[in-house]
Amino acid sequence: MKNTFDNNKLADSIAALVVTLIGFGAVFVFSASARVGADYDWKNFYNYLELRQLFFCILAIAVMLAVSLFNYKWLAFKSVRPSGLIQNPLSWLLLISIALLVIVLIPGLGTEVNYARRWLRVPAGPITINFQPSELAKWALVFFLSAVSAKLGEKLRLFKKSFLPLIILIGLVLGLIIIEDFGTTAFLGAISFTILLVAGAKWWHFITPIPVLAGVLTLAIIKSPERIERITAFLSPTDASSQAAGYQVEQSLTAISTGGLLGKGLGRGISKYGHLPEDTTDFIFAIVAEEMGFIGVVAVVLLFILFIILGVMTIHRCRDNFGRLLAFAIVLTIASQAAINLGVVTRLLPTKGIALPFISAGGSHLLLAAAAVGILINITRNSSGKTQ
Amino acid sequence: MIRIKTAIVMLVIAAAAFLGIGGRCFYLQYFCREFYQKSSEKSQHSNFIEQTRRGAILDCRGRTLAASVPLETIFAEPRAISDLKAVANELSEILDISASEITEKVLAGRNPGYAPVAREITLTDEQRKAIRKIRGIGVETKWKRSYPLGRTAAHVVGFVGTDGKALAGIELKYNKLLSGKTGKSTFFSDVARRPIGLEENKSFAADGSDIVLTIDAVIQEFTRSALSKQITRYNAESGFAVVMNPCTGAVLSMVSLPDFDPETLADADANSMGNHLISDPFEPGSIFKPIVAAWAVDSGVFKQNDVVFCENGRYAGKGFGRIGEYRDGFGHLSIGDILAFSSNIGMTKIGQKMGAKKIYEGIKFFGFGVKTGIDLPGEEPGIIWPLKRWDGYSVARIPYGHEVLVTGMQIAKAYCVLANDGKIIKPYLAKAVIDTSSSQTKIISPKPLGGCVINSETSRWLVRQALSNAVKKGTGKRAALKKYQVWGKTGTANIAKSTGKGYDESNYVASFAGGVPAKDPAIVVLVSIRKPNRKLGLGYTGGSVAAPVVNEILDKSLGYLQSGN
Repeated sequence: MKNTFDNNKLADSIAALVVTLIGFGAVFVFSASARVGADYDWKNFYNYLELRQLFFCILAIAVMLAVSLFNYKWLAFKSVRPSGLIQNPLSWLLLISIALLVIVLIPGLGTEVNYARRWLRVPAGPITINFQPSELAKWALVFFLSAVSAKLGEKLRLFKKSFLPLIILIGLVLGLIIIEDFGTTAFLGAISFTILLVAGAKWWHFITPIPVLAGVLTLAIIKSPERIERITAFLSPTDASSQAAGYQVEQSLTAISTGGLLGKGLGRGISKYGHLPEDTTDFIFAIVAEEMGFIGVVAVVLLFILFIILGVMTIHRCRDNFGRLLAFAIVLTIASQAAINLGVVTRLLPTKGIALPFISAGGSHLLLAAAAVGILINITRNSSGKTQ
Repeated sequence: MIRIKTAIVMLVIAAAAFLGIGGRCFYLQYFCREFYQKSSEKSQHSNFIEQTRRGAILDCRGRTLAASVPLETIFAEPRAISDLKAVANELSEILDISASEITEKVLAGRNPGYAPVAREITLTDEQRKAIRKIRGIGVETKWKRSYPLGRTAAHVVGFVGTDGKALAGIELKYNKLLSGKTGKSTFFSDVARRPIGLEENKSFAADGSDIVLTIDAVIQEFTRSALSKQITRYNAESGFAVVMNPCTGAVLSMVSLPDFDPETLADADANSMGNHLISDPFEPGSIFKPIVAAWAVDSGVFKQNDVVFCENGRYAGKGFGRIGEYRDGFGHLSIGDILAFSSNIGMTKIGQKMGAKKIYEGIKFFGFGVKTGIDLPGEEPGIIWPLKRWDGYSVARIPYGHEVLVTGMQIAKAYCVLANDGKIIKPYLAKAVIDTSSSQTKIISPKPLGGCVINSETSRWLVRQALSNAVKKGTGKRAALKKYQVWGKTGTANIAKSTGKGYDESNYVASFAGGVPAKDPAIVVLVSIRKPNRKLGLGYTGGSVAAPVVNEILDKSLGYLQSGN
């Protein structure tokens, strides 16, 4: 029995699962972008979100498969000395990310969407590529931390020599992100600490950075009226339904609830016609629940749980510390991001701008997640310990 | 030194979170569904109400008495307009209104959702199409009710209020048929209230049916002009007239004055709204005599040729008081001549011989004290006191038309019975309904009732002899026509004082009820004029005031009917 499900099959299953999720996403982004009375102008297909998403989906699958061909060990650090750091591509990725995070903050270069300057707009011929540096920074940091911690091994337990520099690096990246994106900061902070913890850092070392992080986050909340509104809307949902923040979640719940157990039918949802803002991006799950009902909910939830199970199997089979840690980081990042998104959409968590991996519309997050899964697939395929 | 267990626990927690989210969704979708369904109804649904055309009201020859015409109002939704100048320019090219005027009107409105730009105009299809393309500009169609005859048939046709609600006459009586069915569609709508293709439910609209009346617009016009002329001439308070086909009960014309213009109701006098013919019972006076006389003969108390001594104008006694004549007293008069010369004493003596029970029976048989059932709202039944309240005074006075309250419609109906060989009829106005969608016509006139009130022998004697003599040599001479024998009875009734007992000695109701021709009656007419001004010295009796009106109506109507046939 066990022999039949070898590493290649496991890798193929992960690929198939993610392709399914991406396809699922494409269908619902298409459905959610429905408009009243508008025809397509095929010459400008890139201006239509749903057509652009279709293109991204195909590209993402290609990226995933391409990345899975490269041995993940190429990303491992040869040494933690400066010479080793310079040779490693992950160091460069992180450096570029930090540079982009700085650039996006410069007015005139970064683009504001929904009052947050998170986007870089790069003109490329007839089309404009919108790119979110914080997405790249998120993955760069996650990869870098996994790789460095794996190389450090036992040395990670040294506070001054290993732990503190890493914490300062995390602080630097988060500090750049928090200016415009609170949700991602909190999320990435938690992910980073978890990776360090799993990598073997002493738990009491976290006593120093956690209060600092908590303090900074609280300050960020207090300084932004929009964030306070989101929190109060979450805490007192009944009387906040007229407020902008409360309205969105209220519409989200309406969409989910009116879907019922069987749903209104694919394409037959109502909320996407302007009632539910961000219907193609952060709140896409509400559209799934509205059109496919509880059946659609179960499908999404089971697909993500299955993703976690396959991830755990990979971690279990992998005999290489770097591979294990990297696999864990990738699965954790994707799964917890999905869980947080669903929590927001169902009002279990306050509103934050976090997309649902693979399903929400958007190019940068989809391509990067696909690339990450490509690495995961490669780890699975190269797990030396065959199940015996 | 990787903490694999910690890693797996972390991921299991994430998996558990997904299960929790699944549970949360089940809770929302199964238990909260009704609540959210309800709360979303308002924001996610829109209604589209299709206003249907109200049916027309036509006369017996298809002439329009009331019809609805579509008028369009163009309005702006100021909050939806971002570039008012461009919209105004675009609209002014379609309509014949200057852009500055449009801008002014849009800015003048206080309602951010509605600012009328042009009211009650008629658009071409191209204009309508072009206007619909402009964002923020809408077209609404409203039906306007028009009454081509204006005042002439106002009391029959009735009217519709500004809100489209029927308020009187045929409009009210047949409102359900006329109004048809409003179509209502419920749509899912987007956040800007534009309908999404998905239609939730729809009830189909149906235009209202047309109603064909028995009224003839030409006879109606004759009737009104003749009555109106006389009321003006005699400076009278009010009046009414009705022309009927005695064989069917069809009402050919019906006028109540003063009247109102159904298109400008705001200016109308409240006193002009009532239809005196059906809703204003009065003491009829002498026009009531033939009813009692007919019953006296028909029930065998008197024979046609019996003679009654009329006491030379002085008749009094214990238990019934003093009875007087209008002018001179009479000696011996036949029953027919009692009617022809309108002797009160003669009628009193006939009544006294009949007795209360017989009189009561007779007038009830003729339909007094009960609504005639004509298809108009607001009919009154009048008052016939129950027998136990009758005394000697009642028996002496009811035979000449006092101590009873009747409506003009009841008198006209009774005269139709006399003209129709004693056979009962039911007065009616609507004879057919035309379903406008299928073009099918349905006859709705009442079926012949087939009962007799009196036998044909009595009725023919009354019409051809007694009441023809009233016109030939009696009180109704002024109703006579050269070509045909007119028959009928005048009436000059006292008006009871509003304060209580006794009569107002200076005011009368002058009436004439009758028909033409005496052999084979084709038309029955009743004309009644209230309070002709005696001080003018032109007369005040039924013979002098009402009979000439009847004459004019009959003369013109017969001429018209003959040329038409």
